[in-house]
Amino acid sequence: MGDTLTKVKITTAFEGKPNARALKTYVDNGGYAGLKKAFTMQPGQIIDEVKAAGLRGRGGAGFPTGMKWSFVPKDDKGPKYIICNNDESEPGTFKDRYIVECNPHMILEGMIIAGFAIGANKGYIYTRYDFFEEIKWLETAIREAYDAGFLGDNILGTGFKFDIDHYAGAGAYICGEETGLLSSLEGKKGQPKLKPPFPAISGYLHRPTIVNNTETLAAVPWIINHGAAAHKTMGTEKSPGTKLFCLSGRVKRPGVYELPLGYPIEKLINEDAGGMLPGYTIKACIPGGSSAPILTAEELKGLTLDYEAITAKGSMLGSGAIMIIDDSMSMVELLKVTVDFYHHESCGQCTPCREGTGWLANIMTGIMAGEGKKEDLQRMFEISRNMEGKTICALSDAAAMPTKSIVTKFGAEIADFIERGKRA
Amino acid sequence: MSETVTFKLNGKDVTVPKGTTVMEAARRENVDIPHFCWHPGLSVAGVCRFCMVKVEGRPKLEIACNLQATNGMDVKTDTDEAKSAHKWALEFHLINHPLDCPICDQAGECGLQDYYMSVGKYQSQMTRPKVLKPKMLDVGRDLVLDTERCILCSRCVRFEEEVTKTGALGIFDRGDRAIIGTYPGEKIEHNYQTNLVDICPVGAFTSRDFRFKQRVWFLKDKPAVCPGCSTGCSVDVYGKPETRSYFRLKPRKGEANGHWMCDKGRHMYSHLNQDVRLRTALTTDAQGRRKDTNFAGAIEDLGKRIAAVNPATDVALLVSAQHTSEEYKSLFDFFVGELGIKKVFQWREPTEKIDAFDGLLYRGDHNANTRGLLNALKEAGLAANLKNEFDAAASSAAKVVIAITPEVPTTFPSFEQQLEHLRELDFVSFWTLAGSVADNKKTKHAIPMKGFPEKKGTFINHEGKAGKLDSPFPCPVADGRDLTEIVAALKQWRHSHGSR
Amino acid sequence: MSEHNHNTKSNDPAPAFTPALRKQIEGFLTRYETKRSAILPALHAIQDELGWIADEHVEILDKEFGLHRVQVREALTFYSAYRQKKPRQFNIQFCNNIVCCMLGANDVIGKIKGHIKKFEEKGKESPFSVEGVPCMCVCDGAPAMLVNKDRHLNVTKENIDSILEKYASLKSGV
Repeated sequence: MGDTLTKVKITTAFEGKPNARALKTYVDNGGYAGLKKAFTMQPGQIIDEVKAAGLRGRGGAGFPTGMKWSFVPKDDKGPKYIICNNDESEPGTFKDRYIVECNPHMILEGMIIAGFAIGANKGYIYTRYDFFEEIKWLETAIREAYDAGFLGDNILGTGFKFDIDHYAGAGAYICGEETGLLSSLEGKKGQPKLKPPFPAISGYLHRPTIVNNTETLAAVPWIINHGAAAHKTMGTEKSPGTKLFCLSGRVKRPGVYELPLGYPIEKLINEDAGGMLPGYTIKACIPGGSSAPILTAEELKGLTLDYEAITAKGSMLGSGAIMIIDDSMSMVELLKVTVDFYHHESCGQCTPCREGTGWLANIMTGIMAGEGKKEDLQRMFEISRNMEGKTICALSDAAAMPTKSIVTKFGAEIADFIERGKRA
Repeated sequence: MSETVTFKLNGKDVTVPKGTTVMEAARRENVDIPHFCWHPGLSVAGVCRFCMVKVEGRPKLEIACNLQATNGMDVKTDTDEAKSAHKWALEFHLINHPLDCPICDQAGECGLQDYYMSVGKYQSQMTRPKVLKPKMLDVGRDLVLDTERCILCSRCVRFEEEVTKTGALGIFDRGDRAIIGTYPGEKIEHNYQTNLVDICPVGAFTSRDFRFKQRVWFLKDKPAVCPGCSTGCSVDVYGKPETRSYFRLKPRKGEANGHWMCDKGRHMYSHLNQDVRLRTALTTDAQGRRKDTNFAGAIEDLGKRIAAVNPATDVALLVSAQHTSEEYKSLFDFFVGELGIKKVFQWREPTEKIDAFDGLLYRGDHNANTRGLLNALKEAGLAANLKNEFDAAASSAAKVVIAITPEVPTTFPSFEQQLEHLRELDFVSFWTLAGSVADNKKTKHAIPMKGFPEKKGTFINHEGKAGKLDSPFPCPVADGRDLTEIVAALKQWRHSHGSR
Repeated sequence: MSEHNHNTKSNDPAPAFTPALRKQIEGFLTRYETKRSAILPALHAIQDELGWIADEHVEILDKEFGLHRVQVREALTFYSAYRQKKPRQFNIQFCNNIVCCMLGANDVIGKIKGHIKKFEEKGKESPFSVEGVPCMCVCDGAPAMLVNKDRHLNVTKENIDSILEKYASLKSGV
């Protein structure tokens, strides 16, 4: 069990530094040391180190990163790819953007190390298109890295070749799903690919591909530099390391907080963020992005911020987006916004998701228009239940889970609204 | 020889080649797993999420179409969980479907209807207004598209990408606003478009040719071989026996054609309906008066004319390559073997490009049985090449010419012109399906024939493979006969009139 | 939620490709492993340069650059970034997802719409258009919006007027 209270800055280490994004700042403060160390190791050793560090995917799913890397066929000599999933789009999340703002080189270094580990020579960073400024910062960093010999045909004289290019999305939440991203990178609609085969075997252009979240890749240089053991001193046993938490809502200091996993949520809200703005109280909390089931204020008591603890409460850590819902928010409106979002973003290929998200949104439109029916709550629950676990990707589940939790935990408020709406 | 795996399907051990999916294995075992997007002739899309099955030991249901059977796997298609998933998948497919079955041509052969009866039977919970989409779109010669009926299974898009490689269809927009279509203002041009109607599991694509003609439950389908070219696609002919009429052809899975057939082949029913057929036999008396007669009358007239000349020198046979091998055998056994005629010519289309091939199915030889005819000629000891053509017949100074016309006039652009040419001869007996043959006053003698769905026999395709006709429809024309029957009648006449 | 309507087409004449745009698109064709990957960047480039993407542009991508028109149109209509009609001078994308909504996004959007309506009542076209968009992932600065490519954070009923005024005053200079 590591330390769950002491704050160590890994992915936000350059936060607030003057000229934080510049290559020089990065190198002067130990940047690319992890890469140099990685070149002294065998690729297999790097994968083992990341495995031992217990690093889990920071995009939302929490899949062990080292294990993902180890799925890439070692004897395959053809092209392989490392993709940085910088398509931050889970509502409530703003951490990957922040890493780019703090220092994009950390992401590049993580990608090069990952590339060396799995034998890939090409990487892409896929960013949502409307991070206009952030894309420029990334492109500048890529240029700097080429100029300094960290990218190109013979990196630091090792003979290892690695190229990174940037690719912008075009406004589709689904491209945050790793295979939706790959379809998009291929110039297609961002529709997730049928699995199996998984991307590590057959991904971008049917070649072995690793897609990692920005935050995951940004944590890699530190792990290689300091070792798996050091990483495991932070966080909990099953959720080691630090995680970025995106705190939003009517707290005094919303923002990105890098905290050891297992950190108490109440401490984050009340101490780090300074508590709620005067006159507002917590009504509920969405702990892992809008796909995560909602928690009541009561359920936050004693809750710690790690994968296991939040799962035990019936929700999920997800992307680390903690949205504090205060008492000014109508749960009918929250549900409407949530189902509208998934309806808008469903890619449309799998029937239960395409039709289910539309159906939920359609029912909510009716409720908002005063045409709601008492049985709508149960119906929405049933629709959601039957959207879960039935589709190629998790967007259907992402729509179903919050819906189920909202109609369950705040059913009375919605039922009351339906009743009043009818009378009005 | 190849590696196999054994798994349990609904409790029964099933052994299949390694790599077989549960969907494919279930089909072999006649276990129906409901599906829309999966099609045996296309890649796996896995998007309709209908074919959910339970695999023991796995937390979630799996889709059978993308699930490879492995040794020891225990798959069940009928657990309560699977059945509920099927019912819900169907409900999701139907919530925005217009349910306009009473005016939909697909009714009666629609996946949505069939599955509602087999796995649905629920009371729909959908009470909100439906998503509306464009209807009645003209997207090709034979295609009418209703995007509201479409369930976005993507079969048509995959067909365009994988089979014809034309990529003319896309799914535009996203979510439940997604719409199948061509690029605005463009139409599908190729010769395989009606396959889109076949593979569409619902009534989104309907055939302009078949549209509103007949309810499918009144139709009877029988297997046959397409007579449209030398590929010899396996087909089902759909007819309505009560009215002795034909409505359409659809491909049946076969060695020559896989799952598909071309649009030209689709029309190989239109020459079979009574309105265009020769319905009665025709003779001309000594005064030159044409009159309708029955089959026996026509045989008697022809029998007399042959008896009046020396068959070996005065009778010529002009044969097209659209009849069965069995018919050719009886024809040549009699005319060549018994009567000793030497003048046997082929009726070929002068403009044909016999070796042309579109890369998929359609060939330049628009005869189903060129190989069969050549084989029969050879067996009869006659010149068996394609050069021995019609012009020779005209100049052969035969007193009696028997012209066995192509069955399908539309495959012979020069058909009418050739008839003109033949009518100039002294006496020609036309054996034909085409009513237009007798329309011309110069035609002196004609015998109505049976069409390909009305007879039994064999077509030999371009690569020498046999295609069988063996479940005949009743012939819409009472006096219609195949070559074997006509020859038998002639033979009978000659025997009873003492000539040999 | 979003008023993004892909099927709304413009009657405006399609602006012609500039030589610089052509060169940029040509670069995309060989930059990635497959030509098809050039579709998204090419559409972005057209929109950046010409403001929107017309059917004629898709046809040019097909005929002159070898990008399949059905595939281009699939991308064009799938992604919400692409516009198929000529935008106003300042297009406002206002986040109306959870946090922005809770912090008053809809009120601000209402106010912007009122602003636009005032122009229309005078028979003039407003330089602004506004659409609700999904989460922009800057929730610590909610409510957030983009005016063309400029990000604005903590946009409220109180400060929206001055922001709009600033842009409106740019109008004459453009």
